[in-house]
Amino acid sequence: MNKNKKLIASAIAALVIVAAITVGVVKTAEGNLDVIGKGSQKTFEAVLNVLPDAGKADEANAGWSLESPDGEVRLIWSGDYNKSPVYDVMLEFDAKPFLDAGLDESRLSDQYKRNDGSIIIGSKLRKEAPSVKEGPNALSAYQQIETYNPDTINYHSAMDHYGLKLGDGNMFEWAKNMETNTVTKKDQDKDIVFVLNPEPLIAAGVDPEKVEGWVYTTVPVMDHGKNVEVYKFLKPFNIK
Amino acid sequence: MASEMLNIRGMTCAACAQRIEKTVRKLSGVNLANVNLASEKLFVEYDSDQVELSAVKAAVTKIGYEVAEKSENAKVTIPIGGMTCAACARRVEKAIGKLEGIEETSVNFATEKATVTYDPQTVRLSVIRGAIEKAGYEALEVDKADAVDEDRARKQKEIKTLWTKFIVSAIFSIPLFYIAMAPMITFVRLPFPAGIEPMRYPLIYALLELFLVIPVLAVGYRFYTVGFKALIQRSPNMDSLIAIGTSAAVIYSVYNTFQIASGHFMAVDALYYESAGVIITLILLGKSLEAVSKGRTSEAIKKLMGLTPKTAIIFVDGVEKEIPIDEVELGDVIIVKPGEKIPVDGTVISGNTSIDESMLTGESMPVDKKEGDPVYAASINTTGAFRFKAEKIGSETALAQIIKLVEDAQGSKAPIAQMADIVSGYFVPVVCAIALVSGVAWYFGTGGDLKFALTIFISVLVIACPCALGLATPTAIMVGTGKGAENGILIKGGEALETAHKITTIVFDKTGTITEGKPTVTDVLTIEGISKDMLLQLTASAEKNSEHPLGQAIVLGAKAAGLELFATEQFEALTGRGIQANIKGEDILAGNRKLMDESGISLAGMEEVSDRLAEEGKTPMYVAINGTLAGIVAVADVVKESSRAAIESLHKMGMEVAMITGDNAKTAAAIAKQVGIDRVLSEVLPKDKSNEVKKLQSEGKKVAMVGDGINDAPALAQADIGIAIGSGTDVAMESADIVLMRSDLMDVPTAIHLSKQTIRNIKQNLFWAFGYNVIGIPIAAGLLHLLFNGPLLNPIFAAAAMSLSSVSVLTNALRLKRFKPVTGKR
Repeated sequence: MNKNKKLIASAIAALVIVAAITVGVVKTAEGNLDVIGKGSQKTFEAVLNVLPDAGKADEANAGWSLESPDGEVRLIWSGDYNKSPVYDVMLEFDAKPFLDAGLDESRLSDQYKRNDGSIIIGSKLRKEAPSVKEGPNALSAYQQIETYNPDTINYHSAMDHYGLKLGDGNMFEWAKNMETNTVTKKDQDKDIVFVLNPEPLIAAGVDPEKVEGWVYTTVPVMDHGKNVEVYKFLKPFNIK
Repeated sequence: MASEMLNIRGMTCAACAQRIEKTVRKLSGVNLANVNLASEKLFVEYDSDQVELSAVKAAVTKIGYEVAEKSENAKVTIPIGGMTCAACARRVEKAIGKLEGIEETSVNFATEKATVTYDPQTVRLSVIRGAIEKAGYEALEVDKADAVDEDRARKQKEIKTLWTKFIVSAIFSIPLFYIAMAPMITFVRLPFPAGIEPMRYPLIYALLELFLVIPVLAVGYRFYTVGFKALIQRSPNMDSLIAIGTSAAVIYSVYNTFQIASGHFMAVDALYYESAGVIITLILLGKSLEAVSKGRTSEAIKKLMGLTPKTAIIFVDGVEKEIPIDEVELGDVIIVKPGEKIPVDGTVISGNTSIDESMLTGESMPVDKKEGDPVYAASINTTGAFRFKAEKIGSETALAQIIKLVEDAQGSKAPIAQMADIVSGYFVPVVCAIALVSGVAWYFGTGGDLKFALTIFISVLVIACPCALGLATPTAIMVGTGKGAENGILIKGGEALETAHKITTIVFDKTGTITEGKPTVTDVLTIEGISKDMLLQLTASAEKNSEHPLGQAIVLGAKAAGLELFATEQFEALTGRGIQANIKGEDILAGNRKLMDESGISLAGMEEVSDRLAEEGKTPMYVAINGTLAGIVAVADVVKESSRAAIESLHKMGMEVAMITGDNAKTAAAIAKQVGIDRVLSEVLPKDKSNEVKKLQSEGKKVAMVGDGINDAPALAQADIGIAIGSGTDVAMESADIVLMRSDLMDVPTAIHLSKQTIRNIKQNLFWAFGYNVIGIPIAAGLLHLLFNGPLLNPIFAAAAMSLSSVSVLTNALRLKRFKPVTGKR
């Protein structure tokens, strides 16, 4: 009997400890277990605040855009998925460096849309979200993505970056902390990075070594929970 | 000095055994304290005037272990007929409960059984049955299968509990391991739930791991309660290592979970919940396998214990009555029918039969028994029914003594174990220090990489395995001595076992050892004027008071010739020379040449005859009447069938074989030649036999003496190993280091071979136990990584290696079960 009492007491003590840890952790996370989603909003806002013209409205896509400092590529995210004609999140980049490197546009799949010397690649988000109505802005549209399509956002521990997945291996990444970004790790020396999947472009005739303005290199990425090294076209910038 | 064997619960490794030994030895009045980790027993020898056994038990309990009380009470389940309702059950309970000596009664109406715990010294089972009958119910036959073998039941329960814990632990550890490891496996795409992706939902991922590890830690709570308690008392053990290692992993992971919650997501790469979970699971698996293997090491003794029948048929007032074995009393007349086991020791009073005594002696041929012959408990009556009188019951039977002897041997320590004991004593603190130093060194060496340093710290703690060290020697001794007992070879302790394998010279006593010990009269030679019958009649009359086998042979020879023996007026045994007696006024001297020389009796005319007889291997005994030689009575003993083969086997083992005898040199030489003896020590008086052994020892030889254990007691004691042969039921068991239950000399090489095999097994075990640690600890400490940028040891693999070390040691010890006795063809 005593032994049973002891066991019950131990079990209760263990449960209390677990409950205390859980409560402590949840409290530390301010009640939101999606710490990546929550953290990414804050830092995305920081990026919008630093880049000139970032968060500019893009009426054609019923959303907002963030342009690279060299003006060659834009991240566009929709605020109303019913009105966005092609994609809800996308990259629009200058086709010229790729054409110069041998791109035969006719060999690109239908996923790649052409628009006045630019190429657009992106994806429709899986879950429908209500359109941003009251006080719509770039950040609330981003929050909408995080709320309704949280899987689109991820965290890249090797780089200490957040990422917005645009489908088919294309991404937009930004530093979790731009203040410490350049000093903590040698790989984290860029604050924002536009990422293109090179494979369809190479398949359409691009010689990756000849693409001007893009870096063709391997990067560690998470693929279904695994860390794998893959080739990407990168356009990285320090924006502070 | 009193001694006691106590059952200890709660030990997990050699450090625990060391700790108990140290604590008990510190008590004033304790002379000896030996713990056998494998059998979980403490043998304590103490001065009862200075210290009480309760103080010893209290000291053991105080340091966190349990002393299992030996139950003095018996427990029995009696099926009851005639109960119709629950009230009947209560009535029966009341009826039994009223009896004196009843500890507990429980009657189950549904199963119609009464379970009674009672003191057999106060109340007999028959009285309990009588009380049930008196209450109006039927006490049916006691279900023998219900007899409780507490020890076996406890071990089974322990194994079951460990397996259950392991299964529960595995149920949670497998998914924990999967979600922790799947993201790291790059060569295959394993399915992984998107909702817990560590790079997307690190906090959910961390909390899930935490929730999965909690049940594992809960089932392994004993590692923490025992481990930290031992640590606090500054006697860390194996549990302490596991407790520190896994606690460090869990605490660091909880810290990192908070880090993730506060926005430091990279901490998701520094979660070690799965290490803690898998370590506990693997150790539980190892402990489960260990418990199963440990049970098998004591199978031999369990087999012996299970030999005794549960009931006996006694003959009382002209009727046969079956009673429980515990109720048999001295003097009871017991009936044994063909095919039945003999319940207690005794002497046949009527009937002839053959009895299979192989379970006691290893001898496969049944032994014929007639009136006056002894019979032993647990042997099997093969042919005829007979009656015998109970002379030894309970703990006095030969079987009980053998069990005690084997139990004592299994609880003893071999000198080779001392090294392991010393190492075990320092092992855990040293490992803790190595873990700490390695962790700190790597922390600073890697520029503050806490994750790396922690991996090293945990790995070192977890791979170190003191349990393998603790099991190496006792398990081999248990299996070795058990195997010996199965073959009729009782080895009285670890020290005997170890010394036996070093033996270089074996000295055999002649009579009864190399020879059958049943000499017969072969020649009677007289001088003129004395008839052969007269000489034999006088000599036999003189020898009838002698206990010497030669004297008895002459008495038997005279009786066989139909000669009447005269009354002896005076008799004196002259040790090592012969006898002197007075019969009908005639002074008779019968003995060897030395006796005749001392008495100044001329041997003229008989010396040549004597020499010839001796060369034929016969023992000539001179007989003088009134100071004049009257003739020679020659006696010869038949060499045992197995003697030559046994000596040949010993030669093949590289041993020198000597024979020691009181016989004259020529007789001794003749026997020696027949069996292939290397060295003959003849005409040695019984009191000088030990000196002869001493002389051999002074030549630097390790000497074993083989004798019948009574006449040869001093020599057996002087020898490095005393081997008593064919006397498993008498005082020989006291005087020898090894007792051979049969008279078969082949058991001598078998015993030596078993000793060699066991010591070899112990050395292998120690090699494995030390090897794991000597190789594992430096790898875990990152030495390969430091020197050659080689691999580090994941704590999970360290835990697997630790479990494997104990299991491999036990498995190796169990190989001894395949030991085969030496045969003549070897």
